[in-house]
Amino acid sequence: MKDRCETWKEQLAEAALTGTMTEGLDEHLRTCVTCAFALKGLRARKERMDALLPFVAKGPGPGVDFRARVLDAAAATNERKRTQPWRIWRLAGATAIVAVMLMVGVKWYHRTERTVSQNELAALQKLTEWRAPSDALLATPGQEILRTMPRLGESYLNVPVKKDEEE
Amino acid sequence: MTGACVNALIARAEEQAPEAGFGERVAENQRRVFQIAYSVLGNSADAEEVAQEAFLRAYRNFGSLRDAEKFRAWVNRIVFRLALNRQRGYRRRLARDTAWQSSEARTMVDGAKDAEQQIMLDKLRREIERLPQKLRSVLQLSLVEEMDATEVGAVLGIPAGTVRSRVHTARKLLLEVMK
Repeated sequence: MKDRCETWKEQLAEAALTGTMTEGLDEHLRTCVTCAFALKGLRARKERMDALLPFVAKGPGPGVDFRARVLDAAAATNERKRTQPWRIWRLAGATAIVAVMLMVGVKWYHRTERTVSQNELAALQKLTEWRAPSDALLATPGQEILRTMPRLGESYLNVPVKKDEEE
Repeated sequence: MTGACVNALIARAEEQAPEAGFGERVAENQRRVFQIAYSVLGNSADAEEVAQEAFLRAYRNFGSLRDAEKFRAWVNRIVFRLALNRQRGYRRRLARDTAWQSSEARTMVDGAKDAEQQIMLDKLRREIERLPQKLRSVLQLSLVEEMDATEVGAVLGIPAGTVRSRVHTARKLLLEVMK
C-alpha cells in the first residue's frame, strides 16, 4: 500500500467488515488499484475468519450421557444431604457454642475490669512523689557537683566558695 | 377420586419435589452452557466438567431458579465465571497452550482443507487470547449459538449496544492480525 493510501486503511477494514463504504472511499477505489486490491484481500480474509469463528465456541458438544451424569451427580448430592442431616446441626451447634463463649467472655471481661476512683488516683500520685526522710542524710557533699558535667577546660574541683567564708 | 384428579395431584407433587423439572432444564440448556465453557477453555473435557459443575450449583439453588428464563440467565453467568476461573488456573500452570492443541478440536473441521483450516483455527484462537479481556469475553460469548447481544450483556453486566460495539472492535482487530 502506498504511503498516501495509509489514510484509507481504517476505512478499508470497516468496508470489509460491514460491506458499506463512504463516498470518498468509493471514489478513491475507482482510481487506486492498490487499495481496491487491498479491499479484496481484506474481504477474503473476513470470509475466512467468519467461517472459522463459530468453531471457537462450537466444539464437539456435550457427550450423549451428559444429562444423565449431571442428574446422577445431583441425585448423589441430594442423597448426601438426606443421609447427613446432622452435619448442618453440628455446624449450627458449634456456631452457637462459639457465640455463647464469646458473650460470656465479653461479660466476664467487663465485670473484672477495675475502675480507679479519683481518691485512689490522688493517693497514688502522692505515693510516687514521696521521699524517705533518710534521703537527705544519705546525700554526700560531692553529689551536687557530680550532677553537672564539667565543660572542656573545667574540672570537678572548681567548687564555688561562699563569699561569707572568704571574708 | 377421578383419574384426572390423581394425575393433577401427582403433577403438583412432582412440581413441589426439589428435583422436579431439573432434568428438563439441563436438556434445554446443556448445549449452550457447554459452548460457553468451550469458547473460553477450548477443550471439551474441561468444558464438560465446568458445565456439570454449573448445573450442580444450579441444582443446589433450584428452589429459586424454577423459572426457565431465570435459570437460563443464572446458569449462563455461572458457567462463564467458572470457565474463567479454570482458565486462570491453567495459565498459572502454563498448560494452556497444550490444551488448545488437543486432538479433539481437530475433529471439528473436516474435509480436504482440514489441516490448513486447523492451523488457521489455532491461530485465530491464539489471537483471540491476545485480545484485551473486555473484547475477548464479549467475542467468546457472542460466538455461542443462541446467545444474542442482550444475553451476552446480561452475563457481563453491560448494555447490548456496548456488546455490539465491542464485538465489532474485536473483529476488526482480528481482521488486522489474521493475515
